[in-house]
Amino acid sequence: MIGAVLAGFIAALFAPWIHRAARGWAGWLIALVPAGLTLYFGAHLERLAGGETFSAVYAWVSSLGTDLAFRLDGLGALFALIISGVGALVIIYGGGYLKGDPQLGRFYAYVLMFMGAMLGVVLADNLITLFVFWELTSISSYLLIGFYHSEADSRASALQALLVTGTGGLAMLAGLVLLGQATGTYTISEMVTQPQAAQSSSLYGAILVLVLLGAFTKSAQFPFHFWLPGAMAAPTPVSAYLHSATMVKAGIYLLARLSPVLGGTDAWQISVTAVGGVTMVLGAYVAWRQVDLKRILAYSTVSALGMLVFLLGIGTEYAVKAALTVLLAHSLYKGTLFLVAGALDHETGTRDVTRLGGLWRAMPWTGTAALLGAASMAGLPPLFGFISKEVFYKAAYDAPDLAGPLTAAAVTGSVFMVTAAALVSLKPFFGARLETPKHPHEAPPSMLLGPVVLAGLGVLFAFVPSWVAEYGIRTAVEATLNHAAEIELELWPGLNVVLLLSLLTVAAGLAVYALRVPLQPWADRVDLGARVGPERGYRVLLGGMLWTADRQTRILQNGYLRVYLMTIVLTTVALTGYTLLTRADIEGVWRLPDARFYEIVVVALIVVAAIVVTQVQSRLAAVLALATVGYGVSLLYIMFGAPDLAMTQFSIETLTVVLFVLVIYRLPRFATLTNRAARLRDALIAASAGVLMTSLVLILTADTSRRHVTTFFSENSVLLAKGRNIVNVILVDFRAFDTLGEIIVLSVAAAGVYALMRLRPERERREALPETRATVELSAMAEADPPAEPQAADSGR
Amino acid sequence: MFEVPSLSDLNVGATLPVTLLALGACVLLVVDLFIPRERKSITAWLTAIGIGVSLVFSLLSLSGAVEFGSGELAFSDMYRADRLTDTINVAALITALLGVMVAYDYLERTRLQRGEYYILLMFSAAGAMLMGAANDLVIVFIALELLSIPLYILSGFRRPQEASEESAMKYFLLGAFASGFLIYGIALIYGATGTTNLPEVWDAVAGVVAEDSAAKFLVMIGAGLVLAGLGFKVAAVPFHMWTPDVYQGAPTPVVAYMSVAAKIGGFAALVRVFGMGLSTFVLESGAPAAWQDTIWLVAVLTMLLGNVVAIVQSDLKRLLAYSTIAHAGYILIAVAAAGTAGLEDTAAQAVVIYLIAYAFTNAGAFAVITAMEKDDASNTSLDALRGLASRCPWLAAAMAVFMLSLTGIPLTAGFVGKWFVFKVALQADLVAAAVVGVLTSAVSAYYYLRVVWMMYFEEGEGDAATPPALAWAIGVAAVGTLVLGALPYLLSDMAREITLAFGG
Repeated sequence: MIGAVLAGFIAALFAPWIHRAARGWAGWLIALVPAGLTLYFGAHLERLAGGETFSAVYAWVSSLGTDLAFRLDGLGALFALIISGVGALVIIYGGGYLKGDPQLGRFYAYVLMFMGAMLGVVLADNLITLFVFWELTSISSYLLIGFYHSEADSRASALQALLVTGTGGLAMLAGLVLLGQATGTYTISEMVTQPQAAQSSSLYGAILVLVLLGAFTKSAQFPFHFWLPGAMAAPTPVSAYLHSATMVKAGIYLLARLSPVLGGTDAWQISVTAVGGVTMVLGAYVAWRQVDLKRILAYSTVSALGMLVFLLGIGTEYAVKAALTVLLAHSLYKGTLFLVAGALDHETGTRDVTRLGGLWRAMPWTGTAALLGAASMAGLPPLFGFISKEVFYKAAYDAPDLAGPLTAAAVTGSVFMVTAAALVSLKPFFGARLETPKHPHEAPPSMLLGPVVLAGLGVLFAFVPSWVAEYGIRTAVEATLNHAAEIELELWPGLNVVLLLSLLTVAAGLAVYALRVPLQPWADRVDLGARVGPERGYRVLLGGMLWTADRQTRILQNGYLRVYLMTIVLTTVALTGYTLLTRADIEGVWRLPDARFYEIVVVALIVVAAIVVTQVQSRLAAVLALATVGYGVSLLYIMFGAPDLAMTQFSIETLTVVLFVLVIYRLPRFATLTNRAARLRDALIAASAGVLMTSLVLILTADTSRRHVTTFFSENSVLLAKGRNIVNVILVDFRAFDTLGEIIVLSVAAAGVYALMRLRPERERREALPETRATVELSAMAEADPPAEPQAADSGR
Repeated sequence: MFEVPSLSDLNVGATLPVTLLALGACVLLVVDLFIPRERKSITAWLTAIGIGVSLVFSLLSLSGAVEFGSGELAFSDMYRADRLTDTINVAALITALLGVMVAYDYLERTRLQRGEYYILLMFSAAGAMLMGAANDLVIVFIALELLSIPLYILSGFRRPQEASEESAMKYFLLGAFASGFLIYGIALIYGATGTTNLPEVWDAVAGVVAEDSAAKFLVMIGAGLVLAGLGFKVAAVPFHMWTPDVYQGAPTPVVAYMSVAAKIGGFAALVRVFGMGLSTFVLESGAPAAWQDTIWLVAVLTMLLGNVVAIVQSDLKRLLAYSTIAHAGYILIAVAAAGTAGLEDTAAQAVVIYLIAYAFTNAGAFAVITAMEKDDASNTSLDALRGLASRCPWLAAAMAVFMLSLTGIPLTAGFVGKWFVFKVALQADLVAAAVVGVLTSAVSAYYYLRVVWMMYFEEGEGDAATPPALAWAIGVAAVGTLVLGALPYLLSDMAREITLAFGG
């Protein structure tokens, strides 16, 4: 079975080469792959009807309960047949539609890749495997919508579709992982046998919301439906395949597949039915008011998807049966109509229905397919669409709760569907002949095969309803519900309420069609804001994100080192200070020092010198003042009996001053470039950091209970090293290697400094400029606003 | 204690991968003096061989085929050679090898071919490895410096180019600052526990908590400061600000190496210090470790900032700099998860898996930029990608793979990493962090796919040169990204046996 899934991907790899070799025939040749798959899945139908299922498991990440598990049951087979069957027709069609396009090879590759991914979705028996293929369908859809990538509109649509479905997909992943946690398994077929595990879990609410988000975004449900009309920027065969027959039905598939696990609760019924119902009515209402053929079809697809969701929400056995019947019918008639729209566009050069008319004579075959498809969409007998419409009404009419409003919604949606159907079939082919940009003639055979076959199947199925019910619908319904079901479909159910509703629907729909021109201004007034609302939300979100990013860049990431340092210091002070104030036991910390007079003098000296550093206007004076701080500290060392430390400190201070004097003549003129406010701010920040550090030291020294080190050394220095000065003993005995190391490091550093001083920058020797760029930067970083932006801050878009 | 320890007492055998590398670098430093200026490619080869030898040793040790040394501990309990050490070694060495390959031609054509480059790279790789092997806070610090100082120098390697000099200066100054935090934090932890040995800290912290003394507070501030110090290394918000400036200014091959190596080292140390040393720092019994909240909040901020700001970048290097910030956020989620008792090992495994996946992907992405970059360091803007696919189809395909992997698209290594991280986050009940992670991944698709978009769908003059070594590096990285993505058990099996010796 994995072969069936991989076939698409493998074929995708070779498609561009086949295209190059076979030229005009490539479409027919490549279509053999999906056609073969159709036969493969078709061959399983007999045994599936006998109650068998087929599964295959390939180890992947077993440690996480994730395997490449596939399972073919009735539901999967129904989808797989639609996917591979329509796929074959679309590839042949695409060969004609995109004839001469230099990107045709890529078209084949993407479509095949999509087909493989889609088959993966419907055959996967593992939640994670399902997710993986789910995202792959989003990506191939992205590539296909953006196929005409030279158009900005097309690119924006592709991105929009990807962002909406991709985000939904990730939400779904979160939901699926939670579901896996709740039920203890990631295998779908195991999960459906124990529905209570998920529904009684405390995570049920979260799981439901997240999974529904995934399904609703993918299947273009309100309020996420706006991406689908945008996706019409794709070449028409792609719209027919992905955005009508298959990909957008992945959400439906997921709902059907998980309905035994998640369905049946009030939360499920209310949310799913409501969203589906709203989408159904809205989509159909918006559809008939469009003028672009493809947009009419796109909104009617939204409506049909709403219908499917609506039915799955109702959730009765009959509703599930109706959903799957509608699904099959929709794939046939909507595929037909999309391909017809593509043919019209291709042959006449326009998709605007107001500019099309009277084409029957020029394009009889296309016209026939269009009529059959539209009649099926409108639910006219004797077509399969009629049967599906009947079961759809009956499911709403027999709904356990709120049957009245549900039926009303179903009828309202369907009325506008009839109008839309008339609009795409009657308008272009009949009436007065209108001038079109191109001279119209019949489409080539490759572009006729698809619509004719799909329309033909719509007729054929209507005459063998029991066969369809037995091999297509029943097994799928049983797989969905996870128990045996009785399914009957008939072309003529007899005179009943449902049939009356159907008659009413067709009459009303045609009336709206006839009166569409005078009705239009009225309809515009009742614009439900549906088309603009959610899309504006998307724009605002996207814009907001860009704005935030831009702001952040300007304010925080401005390239100035001191701003970075300020942020870091402030964060540390805030976090540590907060902990300090809320958690620390600071009693006994604030104490008067037991200090002698000259110690106080030295400390005062240090404080004064530190203040001087910040105030003087001469660099040399600042360095000297800084050195005073250092010398002061050394003095303290001496007073506390650490002459060696004092010596080290003395020499380092001296060295620093000397080094500084060496470079000082190369620094630019000292200038005060910050204003008072900035200096005050800096002073406050510096003071807060100082207070924090002081407090830490005080707290540390207040705790006298831990003096492991001192005790150890005072006990052992005479004993082990024969010396009384602990510091000396540590330096030359206990840590002799460290001392040796330090000496080496110091001498290496000294050698380095010497070498650096001799190696003046090449540039300097070359140009002999008094001020080098490097020093300008150095000083800029050290003290003030640089003359120019130090480094291009993030450039906004 | 006061006997001079013998080599066998020190258990040098257990440390062979890192000691060989460090020794090799020292020897090479001398050998390099005798290699004439115009033939420094010899140094590159020798470096590659040195890294290769060390890699072979690491892999042997990882596979368990050969037992080096006796036992896990070496150098008086300072060094721990366990499964985590081995995996981190492998990750660091692969990164170093890719780093050498990416740099080779670049240095040649920009006339920077100097032996020091490779030797510094070796030293810093040794630093990253040591961080993974640290069993003592002092080693954490020394290893951090060993990792960082060569990186400061390497960032400024394109002297006298100003951007490069500026990036080195910034990196060094802020890095020194961060080191200060780290050492202060270590001092505080030492003050509270009386030891720097991680297992002993683990023990002592449990005592401190039980005793409920003021020392508890010291551990808290100490842990915070250590987090700040290491957070700087891995570019976590708010210690991330150096990243875009440094990555944009530093020579691209250096960025290819350091964006990964610094993360490997930093996260290895975070796992060691927090997962192993401070996991007993639990203030209420039954609750997760006290630092967990802080770390996952930092993770959330990091993911949000990195991903959102990356959107508006117009320079590829800068864009990827923000992307590395974002990825630090994802890994930090796993580190936070280590705060839940019983999850320390799983979290460490997730971190390692993510790091290895990330090593191939990110080094590869920067390698592609290296190929695009002109000799004067221009041509790294997003616009420079226009039309790259038609001119360099293989390079563009590799870049696409890297971008998809960074996004976390299934069948790439990036997905595997994210999958393990989010999984452990959910196990640790860090649902908010995981949700933000997932949402920001969606945001990241926006800018990663824009890169793909530019290459494939825009017309333009995008061009690049891929000399053999660079082509190999990109190829290895791309194949690695795909193989690890398609066969995730390679990673999970490798990481499965990682245990932090003191997990609950």
